[in-house]
Amino acid sequence: MFKKKVTLKILLMLILSDILETAVHFFFKKSALAQAEFSLGDLPGLVVFFKTIFFSPFLWAGLLTVVAVFIVWSTILSKIDLSVAVPIASFSYILVPVSSAIFLHEQIPALRWAGTLFIIVGVILVSLSSKERIARE
Amino acid sequence: MREGLLIILFMIALTSLCDTVNQLFLKSAVDSLNFTPEFNFRKIFRFIFQLLIKPRLWLSFVFSLISLCIWLLVLSKADLNFAFSADSMHYVFIALASRFILKEKFGHLRWLGTGLIVAGIVFVSLS
Repeated sequence: MFKKKVTLKILLMLILSDILETAVHFFFKKSALAQAEFSLGDLPGLVVFFKTIFFSPFLWAGLLTVVAVFIVWSTILSKIDLSVAVPIASFSYILVPVSSAIFLHEQIPALRWAGTLFIIVGVILVSLSSKERIARE
Repeated sequence: MREGLLIILFMIALTSLCDTVNQLFLKSAVDSLNFTPEFNFRKIFRFIFQLLIKPRLWLSFVFSLISLCIWLLVLSKADLNFAFSADSMHYVFIALASRFILKEKFGHLRWLGTGLIVAGIVFVSLS
C-alpha cells in the first residue's frame, strides 16, 4: 500500500514542516546564545545556565514549534509514504545552514557544504531503502 | 575551537544516543499495543491513553529531556549549522540499534546511505 502521489497540498505542508523544523533549531540556538558562560565541570554554573534558559521565551517558542512540527508531520505521514516524505523534508539540512548564515551570521566553509551534501544524499538513500525492504517481503 | 571540538562532538554523540534510546523505548511501547492506523477518533484516543500509562513511554520522555538539555549546552558553544549537521549521526545510531537490538533487516541501499551520512559528518567536523 504505497502512497506516493505528492499533491500540491502535501508539498506545501512539507515545505511548512521544513520551515518549522528550521525555526525550532533557530529558537533553541537563540535561547542558548543568551548565556555562553559555563564550563562543563562547573555544577552551579550549569544550574544557572538551565535556570536562565528555562525562563527564555525562545526556549518555549522552540518547544511550541516542536509540537507544531509533530502535528504537521503526522498529518503528512498519514497521507504519504515515509520514503517519499523524508527526502523532501531533508531540505532542512540546507535551510538550517542558510538561515544560520543569514540570521546568526555564522561562517560556513566549503568543506562543510560538501559534508552537508553527503548527509542529504545519505538521508535520501536511507529513506528510499524502506521501500526496498517492504518490496522484498 | 580546535580543542573544544572533541568535547562538542562527544556531547552531540551523547544527545544522539539519548535520542536513539528514546526512539527504542517509543518503538517498543508502540509495538506492544498492536495498533493499526486508521481514522477512528475513539480508537486513536484509546491508543494514546494506553500509551500514556506505559512506563516505557515516560522513560522515553526522560531521555528526550536529557537530550534537549545536552543539546542546549551544545548550542551555547557551537555554531548551529555545524551542530545540526553533526546531529545527523543519530541516523547512524538508530540504524545500528535497529539492526542489532531490534534485529531489523536492511538492504545495501541503507548501508550505503548510512555510510554517506558518516562521511558527511566527518567532512562537517573537519571543516
